[in-house]
Amino acid sequence: MRALLPWLLICATLSSCAPAGDGGVVSEGRRWFGSLTPPVGQVFRFNLGTEPELRDPGVMGGQPDGRFARMVFEGLTVNDARTLEPLPGQARAWTISPDGLVYTFHMRPGLVWSDGTPLTAHDFVWSWRRVLAPETAARNASLLYPIRGAEAFNKGESDGSDLGLAAPDDSTFVVTLGHPTAYFLFLTTYYVFMPVPRHVIERHGVRWTLPANLVGNGAFRWTFWRQNDRYEFVPSPTYWDRAHVRLERVIAYTVDDLNTSSNLYKSGATDWNPSGYIPSPWLAYMKPYADYRTDRYQGTYFYSFNTTRAPFDDVRVRRALMLAVDRETIARDLLKGSREPWGRITPAGYPGYEGPPQVGYDPERARALLAQAGYPEGRGFPRVSLLFNTSEDHRRIAEAIQAMWKRDLGITVELSNQEWGSYLQATQALRYDIARRSWIGDYLDPNTFLQMLMGGDGNNRTGWSDPRYDALLREAARTLEPAQRLRMLAEAEALALDAAVFLPIYHYSTTELVKPWVRGLHPTVLDVHPLRHVWIDHDWRRNLEARP
Amino acid sequence: MIAFILRRVLLMVPTLLVIATLTFVMMRLAPGGPFMSDKEMPARAKQELMQRYGLDRPLHEQYLAFLGNAVRLEFGPSYKYPDREVRDIIVQGFVVSAELGGWAMLVALVFGVPFGVLAAVRQNRPEDFAIMTLALAGVSVPAFVLGPVLVLVFALTLTWFPAALWTGPESRVLPVLALSVAYIAYIARLTRAGMLEVLQQDYIRTARAKGLRERAVVLGHALQLGVLPVVSYLGPAAARILMGSIVIEQIFAVPGLGRYLVIGAINRDYTLVLGVVLFYATFLMVLNLLVDLAYQRLDPRVELA
Repeated sequence: MRALLPWLLICATLSSCAPAGDGGVVSEGRRWFGSLTPPVGQVFRFNLGTEPELRDPGVMGGQPDGRFARMVFEGLTVNDARTLEPLPGQARAWTISPDGLVYTFHMRPGLVWSDGTPLTAHDFVWSWRRVLAPETAARNASLLYPIRGAEAFNKGESDGSDLGLAAPDDSTFVVTLGHPTAYFLFLTTYYVFMPVPRHVIERHGVRWTLPANLVGNGAFRWTFWRQNDRYEFVPSPTYWDRAHVRLERVIAYTVDDLNTSSNLYKSGATDWNPSGYIPSPWLAYMKPYADYRTDRYQGTYFYSFNTTRAPFDDVRVRRALMLAVDRETIARDLLKGSREPWGRITPAGYPGYEGPPQVGYDPERARALLAQAGYPEGRGFPRVSLLFNTSEDHRRIAEAIQAMWKRDLGITVELSNQEWGSYLQATQALRYDIARRSWIGDYLDPNTFLQMLMGGDGNNRTGWSDPRYDALLREAARTLEPAQRLRMLAEAEALALDAAVFLPIYHYSTTELVKPWVRGLHPTVLDVHPLRHVWIDHDWRRNLEARP
Repeated sequence: MIAFILRRVLLMVPTLLVIATLTFVMMRLAPGGPFMSDKEMPARAKQELMQRYGLDRPLHEQYLAFLGNAVRLEFGPSYKYPDREVRDIIVQGFVVSAELGGWAMLVALVFGVPFGVLAAVRQNRPEDFAIMTLALAGVSVPAFVLGPVLVLVFALTLTWFPAALWTGPESRVLPVLALSVAYIAYIARLTRAGMLEVLQQDYIRTARAKGLRERAVVLGHALQLGVLPVVSYLGPAAARILMGSIVIEQIFAVPGLGRYLVIGAINRDYTLVLGVVLFYATFLMVLNLLVDLAYQRLDPRVELA
């Protein structure tokens, strides 16, 4: 037994570093990760991840919460399963006025809530107004700000009587915007824009989101809940497109441990291990498996400088540090190719958006800039620290960059890790020198990233502001012509990149595991997946053969 | 006896007050608050929430309000899961943790005590060495190593048991095993030590001298006093094991109570943390009281003072 102990330890260490067990199951010429026994019938099982905090689409904020909302509720529009382009949802059609300000939505006839109560355009007026009402304290209320009068009402500066929302009759919903917003239709797919049942909320108050009370209008009905364990759903019989929902049951586990989540997938207990739930040390080993899918995700990982503190109030210092980061090496060696090196603030994939050229690795120029700023070969550079929230991945990247700065610039940077709450407070209060940050877009437009750097924006957290930048963004918001608007945004991004406020490092990817029998689940840049199109293909072996 | 119990229960009150106060102060000293997030929440919304939960009131008022609520066992809604009362969360988690812990405790006693007795009776012989080596290994291997190894061997390779989740009876096996191994080992060591001491006592020699069979000496006379160290260990062990091990709950996705302590602290979910801490403290003290009562029954020399 004494001899067995070190063996056990090695075994355990290995199991935490690499996917455990065999080399995978080979079927139809492909290698699959773990069990190949499909569920019985049309049952879809996946890991929802961290327990959702809120089940009220109007006030919620996180991704697991959003996944719940997209099953149980439905907005005016829904996302295409591949492109995420807005398609008719509760609205069957819409018209947009030539000035881009008035959206008229025509509701589907005969819409009802899952308890049979009719659902009309008035429900949308009430729900959107509720999100904006200050006492609702909805954390994503600002997504509704394009609507006329919305911002003032939400900030408590008006009573909301001039809000651009109207329902001239039960089946027509008219939205008037304050200024044209190119991505408004896309916004209406978002959970904050989903209707909520007034009759239930007025009766149960905050407890309307408990399983016994909740009433929705989406493709699925919520039937079971055990906190930190699972959610269960069945198709909603009152849903307008019930005929096309093929799943009979959906089980969404709430497992927040990445190893456990991937083990469950491997053992065949789940059919889908969504993005973010593969432990990062496993990623390098997952590529050979046919169930591993990776694609670009709308997010970037970067460092931000506190521009209110010396020496980072000097743009030359910020630029020097930005140019002395070898992103290729980090992505290739450290992240094993699971992330793409990235030298820009906005991610890729916005239709028609041509962002500024990416910053690269140029140690020569970096040294020259640092010398100009008064620190030749790093001499006299003050002690600064690099803050990150506690995580093994953040630490490894920080150590690599620390070493690069030491090697190329001769400066010493201390690493400082803090637990999540302390880290958030430090960045919000500008009590840091350099901080790790990341941002995930809310909608498919560069604005969802660039907005952050507006002077005074709560997510800026750098102390930097530039009136030219703010003016460009404001002007772009008022511009109707799409190409011209995107050019302005690119100009703004170039300006921010030149000011080196954010130091981009990598582009996020989605990395997920999908069993071969799952159909209708596609990778998307927002990692949003409409589950009503999903079904289980019990004939998957034959169908797989038929495909190239 | 009644007076003893009454006095102990009364003594719990100041202890709980101190624990509650310390937890309250430490939670408030931690940077951040329950409504912080990666994406900035609008100032108006934050203000609204602070008001809703009374967090805008002076700290001493909040403290008094919290104490008042605690006395009525009303901790209010969790900040993170606002549609749920802290009390409901505790009850739901405890039912699961108690089941997991109860099984683990049972397994630990059923295996630990006999192993310990056997090792003591066969002191310095191969059986003793084998058991004590195993026990040493059992105590030394932490749950976060043992858990993944069990999953690797029994769930992913042999596929005898589920890899995680709290579903049918088969899902109990691995977490119970992972949780109980350290306790089996520790209980075996305690039993052995207790038995060795007792076996040298005069009354055991008397028992042997009057011609009792060794089996009757060990099980009939020695065991009762030999397990005393185990009994005194049982209180804190039961509290720890019944509250569920946070690590085991994490590895096996068991929806128990232990993780709320961690999640609550990370999220600065003040009401949830205070509720769970007070529940745990009370539970621990009640168990210790039960241990003292059991002690007195087993060892006639012990008097309840």
